[in-house]
Amino acid sequence: MKTTTRQLTLCAMLTALALALSWVERFLPLSLLIPLPGIKLGLANIVTLFALYALGPAQALLILLCRCTLGALFAGNLNALIYSLFGGVAAMLTMILLQKGKRLSVYGVSLGGAAAHNCGQVAAAVWTLGTAAPLSYLPVLLGVSLVSGTLTGFLSSLLFLAMAHVDPTSK
Amino acid sequence: MNLSRVRTKPAPADLLVAAAIVVLAVLCGLRFWLPQGQAGGPLTAVVTIDGQEADRFPVSRGEPFQVRTYTNNGYTLVVSPAGDSPILSAPDGLCVLESDCPNQDCVRSGVISQSGQSIVCLPARIVIELQGGSGGVDVILG
Repeated sequence: MKTTTRQLTLCAMLTALALALSWVERFLPLSLLIPLPGIKLGLANIVTLFALYALGPAQALLILLCRCTLGALFAGNLNALIYSLFGGVAAMLTMILLQKGKRLSVYGVSLGGAAAHNCGQVAAAVWTLGTAAPLSYLPVLLGVSLVSGTLTGFLSSLLFLAMAHVDPTSK
Repeated sequence: MNLSRVRTKPAPADLLVAAAIVVLAVLCGLRFWLPQGQAGGPLTAVVTIDGQEADRFPVSRGEPFQVRTYTNNGYTLVVSPAGDSPILSAPDGLCVLESDCPNQDCVRSGVISQSGQSIVCLPARIVIELQGGSGGVDVILG
């Protein structure tokens, strides 16, 4: 794969956008609607979906890894890195597989990604905490992922419709 | 890639993904939410720190346990009887009353009172889990 300056710039911009989205969503009063700890919308997944469809799996994964690393550095919390990496990579791999099938719409791919993200994070928690207790929270997280996955799928579909006549990789 | 070829309208196959998520959630939930068969002994809190069991104490109705603090990874959790919880004052169970961890998820978890429930503090790597207790039956009058 030959990376042009244009693609590199696009990747950098999307990484910045994903970081900005995950920062902004902390100010949404989601906990008023769904009063559960550890719940978030996952707006940054819109960027991952866009990168996956527009640029392909390799660059989408690169953007994701940069986002997770920089996000943990900016938050000054390297403990959180393992959670965002487990969640992010699980979501990425699932979405790559689901998108290959061609039978799913953006909604299905987004739903699968949201659910896989939660599974990855719970797996990271089971691993670092050394007990199976976090598994009991997985059903709750999966239930919420149905809502958040549909929402990010909807927002992504709007984005794709708006960008339908633009090829972001060419001039 | 041209984005105009991306499927933006929900497809029937999307429902399969949603169904798979529901099935996974139910299967995982069954393990914890079904009444535990032979869960003998009084309701007991088991505190796990860094994967090692650090404390174990009974959480019995009527006689509140002493407030306890646990410190790990630079954070301190205060565990107290459910009656002290500012979120939901409950007759039995326990809660994390306060913590100096950054995300406060453990505090916001509120009260746990049933066997199988747990409170997890990720930054402190502390897990408080309830075990034992007679599952399902609250009171037997005779």
